[in-house]
Amino acid sequence: MEAFVLPKAELGGFVAKLKANYEVFGPVAKGTEFVFGAVAAAEDLRLDYDTTILPPKKYFHRPVETLFTFNGPVEIAGEGEKVAGKQLLFGVHPCDVNALLSLDKVFLNTYPDPYYKARRENTVIIGVNCVAPCENGFCSSFNTGPAMDTGFDLALTDIGDKYVVEVGSAQGKDLVAGLAAASEADLVARNKALRACQQKITRQIDAENLGELLHQNVEHPKWEELKEECLACGTCTTVCPTCFCFGVKDYVDLSLKAGERPRTWDSCMFYEFSRVALDHVFRPGRAARIKQRIFHKLTYFNQQFEGSPGCVGCGRCVSTCIKAIDPVEIVAAIQENPNPPEEVKLYTPPAKKVTPETSPWAPQKAVIKAIKQQTKDTTTYTFAFADPKVQEAYTYDPGVFNEISIFGIGEAPISISSCADVKDSFDHTIRAVGNVTNALAKLQVGDIVGIRGPYGVGWPVEEMKGKNVLLVAGGIGLAPLRPVIKYIQARRDQYGDFEILYGARTPNDMLFTGEFEEWRKIPNTRLYLTVDIVPPGVEWGHNIGVVTTLFDKMASRPENTIMVTCGPEIMMKFVVRGLLARGFSPEQIYVSLERRMSCGIKKCGNCQIGPVFVCQDGPVFKYADIKDLPEEIF
Amino acid sequence: MAKPKIAVFKFSSCAGCQLSILNIEDHLLDVLGAVDVAYFVMAKRENHEGPYDIGFVEGAVTSPKELLELKKIREECKILVAMGACACTGGLPSIKNFAGTQREMEEKVYTELWDLKSIPAYGIDHYVKVDAYLRGCAVDVGEMVELIKSALLGVNPHFRPHSVCNECKLKENVCLLVNKGKPCMGSVTAAGCGALCPSLNRPCEGCRGPANDANAASLAQTFAVDLGLSRDDVRRKFLKYAGNTPEFKKGAEAV
Repeated sequence: MEAFVLPKAELGGFVAKLKANYEVFGPVAKGTEFVFGAVAAAEDLRLDYDTTILPPKKYFHRPVETLFTFNGPVEIAGEGEKVAGKQLLFGVHPCDVNALLSLDKVFLNTYPDPYYKARRENTVIIGVNCVAPCENGFCSSFNTGPAMDTGFDLALTDIGDKYVVEVGSAQGKDLVAGLAAASEADLVARNKALRACQQKITRQIDAENLGELLHQNVEHPKWEELKEECLACGTCTTVCPTCFCFGVKDYVDLSLKAGERPRTWDSCMFYEFSRVALDHVFRPGRAARIKQRIFHKLTYFNQQFEGSPGCVGCGRCVSTCIKAIDPVEIVAAIQENPNPPEEVKLYTPPAKKVTPETSPWAPQKAVIKAIKQQTKDTTTYTFAFADPKVQEAYTYDPGVFNEISIFGIGEAPISISSCADVKDSFDHTIRAVGNVTNALAKLQVGDIVGIRGPYGVGWPVEEMKGKNVLLVAGGIGLAPLRPVIKYIQARRDQYGDFEILYGARTPNDMLFTGEFEEWRKIPNTRLYLTVDIVPPGVEWGHNIGVVTTLFDKMASRPENTIMVTCGPEIMMKFVVRGLLARGFSPEQIYVSLERRMSCGIKKCGNCQIGPVFVCQDGPVFKYADIKDLPEEIF
Repeated sequence: MAKPKIAVFKFSSCAGCQLSILNIEDHLLDVLGAVDVAYFVMAKRENHEGPYDIGFVEGAVTSPKELLELKKIREECKILVAMGACACTGGLPSIKNFAGTQREMEEKVYTELWDLKSIPAYGIDHYVKVDAYLRGCAVDVGEMVELIKSALLGVNPHFRPHSVCNECKLKENVCLLVNKGKPCMGSVTAAGCGALCPSLNRPCEGCRGPANDANAASLAQTFAVDLGLSRDDVRRKFLKYAGNTPEFKKGAEAV
């Protein structure tokens, strides 16, 4: 790597030259601490800083960032703020440079995020290697410090009265014009300084087999201890340079029509992070949330994003935690007293890249073509995209979902309940329980909503070919399975015996009742119905009892059969157990999971279960793949 | 559609929250354009009887007579909002709940006790159903506007139920507790104020009440063990604004 020298006496002139072309940000003092802030002159720069309150992540993944402005329920009025001109970050530590490389995978891989991308492309990074360890850092555990070897345009190392300046990019090369080349002695001094620093770093996590260790210790007394300590204030995640989670909400002005849709940093440490409509919280316990953070940093992130470190050892979480909760200490405590080792298969979600032509955040307009009431609170809407070309090009697999939005109210993930064989429209069957779904319930035929999608992995209709199919649905869980029924119906000769088991709370809670006769007429198909209770005065000629009571009636046997199920988690849990007891294997069982699938594009983090992003890795999963996830699914 | 009718009522409190409404200059004209302020004694000479679409109640109920009034207000308002710490959690008036019997409190304050009938101070949801809470001493004007907009749209308002620490860190404030050793309650207190006090170098007093899943007992330990606060001081911290809540009660009893 090319290297030059910058005498400290010339730093002022160097920075002044940079300021002519860039808006320069760097570490500046704030009281007793440091922050990244605007740099007026080299004197402001505190290159001797230990760490900053927030990481330089804030210049790329902004704490609050407008995705777009709107005027009316579907009219996008303008894009969010993009960077104007070039910015330059001066004095970024190796840990933070490496953290950005990790974040790149989140924001640039699946559905590249236009805002992050623009900021990344328009930012020059001049890093500073660490010649003195910071108080709480443990970067050397993850090879993310004290020196950096990639991710910068220039990297400085303090060797006394001058800096050795390494060039990391063509852009960096332009910036060193006029500097003298580093001598052999300068490079020796650089290596010596960095080696000395490395030796002084005493805080270490043994990163070898960390994933296996943690997965074996999902249950460990340490978590209970931490639960008592932790204040659940979310500071650890707020200051973390690799945390990427955010929430998206619509804000309107008092016209109630115009407004903006910003994203705001959010945190898995918050109780409401995994809250969905009807006030259900997927991760209510503090111990579970602490585990989510620590596991995400130390193992899930690597599983999710091709071996990128989710922790760069910057030590901010330790420095800012009121209770000094410390990943180094947590890992050491577990290593000291581990559960007996057992073989752990770490699940690696499949990687994919989708490059949409437009911003992945901008929905397409879709017109409501028909509305059909299914039950008291559930309705099937038939949509078609307003732009015929978009509708024509729109294809989807059975079991996937769209994000439906009404600007000013918000966005909600809803599975598609029609089959892609119908080309001119698609259906969503929606229960009115939250802001968006309640607003939808007020709309009429001809009204327009915003839709983006389809997202996710659907039912294994290809794998099911040539096999018998058992379909078990509960309540509104029939909606994402209806496409399977339609799909098989249209290709009946490609599938073996087909059994549909459907249960609901009462006869009045059953969906698609008008289609039952048609389904019964599909050759080699049996439909069994059951309800939990029959209210007085309601006629019911079928089974009474939970859906698993139908198992005794069904003809399906494990041999050559694929089972697909969707419904409340508790129902799926007993369905899976019942089928396993009847000899089905986890390889034959497919379930559709639900979480708060807020963005749909593997960015906002709300839908994570262990290393899984339900929105992109699911919502349909083979049971064998998820049965050992650290958070108990079923 | 007719503009929604808004009413503002006051019980035992300092009236600061009502004053905050008058301080929303940036939005005042827009708000007045969107709603009809039907009853607001502090601001208007002419006030109209109910029913109202949205009622804002400031203050804690501290007498049987006030309790009857509150119940009537509940009947008259489609949406009832507890406005400010006193109405949400009992606020400052609720300090008396933890300082002896009701009679002892009365004797401490008043000399003429013959027609005095006071009751302990709780948040108004102790007595009636409350549809929304505007927390804080005083309320945050931005949240008030957000609540009005949400009510007009018929959706849940976007309030941040996160800790004050979250908003404080986003402002990159130097931590008053970790770095300066001050007993700041931001870590267990609900945000929404924009970390107002810590940003002005004053520790959070917990006026907005507990954040979701607040671990006040653990913070109380920090106050006592690491900062050396006395048992009484720790108690006072947690009983000052929201001692009626189970979360802060745990903090008060932790050391």
